[in-house]
This record gives sequence, structure tokens and C-alpha cells, in this order.
Amino acid sequence: MAYLIHIAILVCIYGIVAMSLNLIVGYTGLISITHAAFFGMGAYATAILMVGHGVNFFVAMLVGIAVAAVASLLIGRVLAGLTSDYYVLGTIGFNYIVFGILINWAELTRGPLGIPGIPRPNIFGIHFSTDALFLFLAFVFLVATYAVCRWVAASSFGRILKAIREDEGAIQVFGYRTSNYKLAVFVIGGALAAVAGSFYASFIRFVAPSSFSVLESAFIFSIVVLGGAANLKGSLIGAFFLVLLPEALRFVGFSADIAAQMRQVVYGLLLVVLMLYRPQGLMGEYKL
Amino acid sequence: MDIFTQLLLNSIIAGAMYSISAMGFSLTFGAARFLNVAHGAVAAVAGYAVFFFSVQLKMNFAVSIVLGICCAAAVGWLTDRFVFRPLRHRKASSLVMVVASLGLMIALQAVLAMLFTSQFRTIGGYRFSSAVPVGNGAITWAQLAAVILGVVIFAGLMLILKRTQFGRAVRAVSDDEEVARIVGIDTDAVIGKVFLLGSALAGTAAILVGIDTGLQPTMVLVLLLTAAVSAIIGGIKSVPGAFLGAYLLGFVENFGIWRIGSEWKWTVVFVLLILFLIFRPQGILGKK
Repeated sequence: MAYLIHIAILVCIYGIVAMSLNLIVGYTGLISITHAAFFGMGAYATAILMVGHGVNFFVAMLVGIAVAAVASLLIGRVLAGLTSDYYVLGTIGFNYIVFGILINWAELTRGPLGIPGIPRPNIFGIHFSTDALFLFLAFVFLVATYAVCRWVAASSFGRILKAIREDEGAIQVFGYRTSNYKLAVFVIGGALAAVAGSFYASFIRFVAPSSFSVLESAFIFSIVVLGGAANLKGSLIGAFFLVLLPEALRFVGFSADIAAQMRQVVYGLLLVVLMLYRPQGLMGEYKL
Repeated sequence: MDIFTQLLLNSIIAGAMYSISAMGFSLTFGAARFLNVAHGAVAAVAGYAVFFFSVQLKMNFAVSIVLGICCAAAVGWLTDRFVFRPLRHRKASSLVMVVASLGLMIALQAVLAMLFTSQFRTIGGYRFSSAVPVGNGAITWAQLAAVILGVVIFAGLMLILKRTQFGRAVRAVSDDEEVARIVGIDTDAVIGKVFLLGSALAGTAAILVGIDTGLQPTMVLVLLLTAAVSAIIGGIKSVPGAFLGAYLLGFVENFGIWRIGSEWKWTVVFVLLILFLIFRPQGILGKK
């Protein structure tokens, strides 16, 4: 049971990240391989503030959101000038820079050693110390994120995003400044990823740079592609499947180390096979 | 040893190492028309193959290098034959190709990590690491070999592209694949050979990096980013451009971190790329 709760929490966390990335990928058609950077900003903000300064979890989360929002605003502005292939490369580059900063800015992040001993959330005297309570909290945020993404997608704002995805030139003719719309959704996505990052830090109780590398971004991206671009439920199913996969591999009898590599092989090949046979993912409404 | 001379030497060494892989990247981009993210991973295959043959099987080092380059070339060709060619026939967008190559990169890196662990591996031993004094600085034999090899390969490629039937076919496919097919060029075969050649070049670069600084699965990203950035700032599709771009990158990177510390290396690289993409997207030698 404890194990199932553990898995369920991970599904919630990755569900939040995947939905937030799906806003960007699915509703603007931009392929962003940098989401782990924003995820990491949330996680590190939480870790540094809670461990180093005893700040409350929810306050730390807000700070993480702010950091990720500002960072995504700045980098989103820079990347806005790039087109398709170059945009992908630009996002990979940004993730690599953030990763480098996490490793090298040792006074703040403790470098490759990471930050251990991150406490669980605590509010109004309720201490979310058990996994079951933590799952409840994570689930509430998962539902909230789903609602936010749903609302973004269904609003007039979301309709314009979809129009941009289908034909950017046409919607520009109507006088919409498309770059602003793309930037806005990029910032919303980045900020939501930071929420998941906070949960991740508090749940695992340890953060290290390797959890926020380009490979991790590629993993998050493969969740979105598997579930299908522009389909939030698909992202949840994708998160469920891909979080369960390494557990299944371990269950079959691979060692934890080999299972970790095996899962990379499977994610990678999955992306290749999906691109070959089903570029819209399991239930996507939009082909890359 | 004064720092300026050494920085100058380091820039030239870095430029030479990048140039070999960048020329391969530029060739494949020209023919296949998408940003091949798997380029670095295919390159790393050569480095690890050399490790396998020379260290694990204790074979002759020169033979191992030849076999290593063949391995990378073969893997590169296979990626085209079984992933990119089918996608091309299906008229997949370049983004789909990029995502597929991203999947290949993840899978290949994980396979390398599984076979050879994530630890640091060295090849070539100490035989190439003795330093040759140059002016007030120093350069190792391996680095000297890289500089000379870079120029030789550049000259060889230019000869092939300008003087041979195959070179003309490559340029025709780079210009316009459809028209090339109409005039009777077997474009699939040409693109396959370009992958063979480009991957062999990438592999050569990875082996040089392996001898110079060692092998690690995470090197795939470094190999990719340096090759891609060099090729783009030089003028994508232009082999002389890739060559120049690599040296420019080498100089900017080494002199850029002179005063601010090496942890900002990737930020400097990234800023250079962004500046080019915004102000001179066609690169140094590219045509509009």
C-alpha cells in the first residue's frame, strides 16, 4: 500500500509537469526541451528556502513559481525569435545552462552534492508528514492544475493559441500579436512546472542537479507526446504509464541501476516509434 | 607559460575538435534538412567502440580507431535507413524528424551507459598526453593531431564536394531534393552515404575528445551542442562555414570565460548562438 501511494504521488507530480508542458507543446506547436529547468527552479527554491531559512512550504512554492515565471519570461522572449528546429536547439541550450548553474553555483545549491533533508509541507497546524496526506495534497494540486490548463485551453485566449498553432500567419492578419500569446503560455507553463518541482523536492526530500537535466526534459516531453499533444487527459495517462514503467522493469528483476537506463532506452525508442507510426500520440488532437 | 598564449592555443584546439564534428553535422543537415539531435550520440558510439576494442579487448590502438569510426558510421547509416528515410518518404515535418532524433539520442546514450557504466573512461593511455611547447604555451600530441586532422579533413571534403560525382550529387540534394530526384539522382542512396560520412566525422571528433579528456555518456550532449552551434553560426549547409564557425566558437568560448570563470562557458556559447540567430540567421558564410 505504501508503495502504491508512493507511485500515485509521483504520477500526480509528473502529471502536473506534463500538463504544464502540454500547454506549450500542444497549444502552440512549439517543441520545448527545457521544462526540467523550470521544474528544477521550483524544486531548488523550495529546497533552499525550507532547509536553509525555515520558510513555509507554500511560501517557498510561491517563490519558486515567481522565479520560474521570471526565468521563462526572459528566456521565452529570447527564444521567440527562433523558428522550429532552432527553437528546439535553443531550449536544449537553456536547459543545459540552468543545469550548469545548479552544478557550479555551489554556495547556493551545494553543487553536485544536492540538498538533503527537505521537510514536508505544514500549514494551519496540519503537517503533511505521512505519504497518504501528502498524496491528498498533491492530488488537490493536480486537480487544480488540470482546471487551470482546461480553463486556459477553453478560454478565448486558448482559442487564439490553437489558431496560432494551425496557421500563425492567418491569425496575425487579424491583428493579434502572436508572439505575446506564445510568450504568455510559455510563462504559464513554466510557472506550473515550478509547482510540481516544489512537490518533488518535498516528497523525495532531496534535490540534485541530475534530476533536472536535458534528459529529464526529454522524459517530460515524451510523456506529453505519448499522451498526445493538446490532450490533458492524455498527459495524465502518459505520466501514469511512464512513471510505472521503471517500477515494472524493477519488478521483472532488473537492478535499479539497469532499470534506470532501460527506462531511458524505452522512452527514447517510444519517441521514435510514435514519430514513425503515430505522431499525434495515443489521444492527441494535433500532429506535430 | 603566459595565459594569453595558452588561451590562444586552447581556442585553436577547441576549434579543431569542434570543426570535425561540425562539418559532419553540416553535411547531414544539408542533405536531410533537419536538426539531427542524435549526431552527438552517434559520435559517442565511436569513442566507446575504441574503448571497447583497445582497452577491453586489448586490440591495437590504430585498428581500434578505424573500427570505432566504422561503428559510428554504421550506426549513423542505420538511423537514416530505419528512422529518417521512412519519415522522409512519409513527408514528415522537420519537427517530427527532430523529435525522432531526440528519441534516438536518449536511447543511444542509455545503451552506452548500460554497456560501459556512467563512469569516466579514458582511451589512448598516456602515449598522447605529453606536451609539446609552442611559444609560451603547450599542446599535447593528441591536440596537435586534432588541429592537423581538422584541416586535412576540411580540404578532403571540399575536394570531394567540388570534384567528384558523389559530391555534386550531395550538393544537388542539399539544394533541392525533389529536383535532384527528378534529374535521376538516387536521393535516398545519397542521403544514406551522407549519413555514413557525417557520422564517421562525428565519430572521429568523439575519439579525439576521448583521447584528450576522456569518455562519459553525458558527452553526447556536449558533442551535439558544439557541432550544432558551430554549424549554425558558420552558415548551416556550408562546410567551410562549419569549419570557420567551429573556430569562432572555440575563440569566443575560451576568451569569453577568461575573466568570468568556466561555469559560464555554456552561457557564452548560447549567447553567441542566439546573437547569430537574431542578427545573422544565415551564419557567417550562409546565403540568405
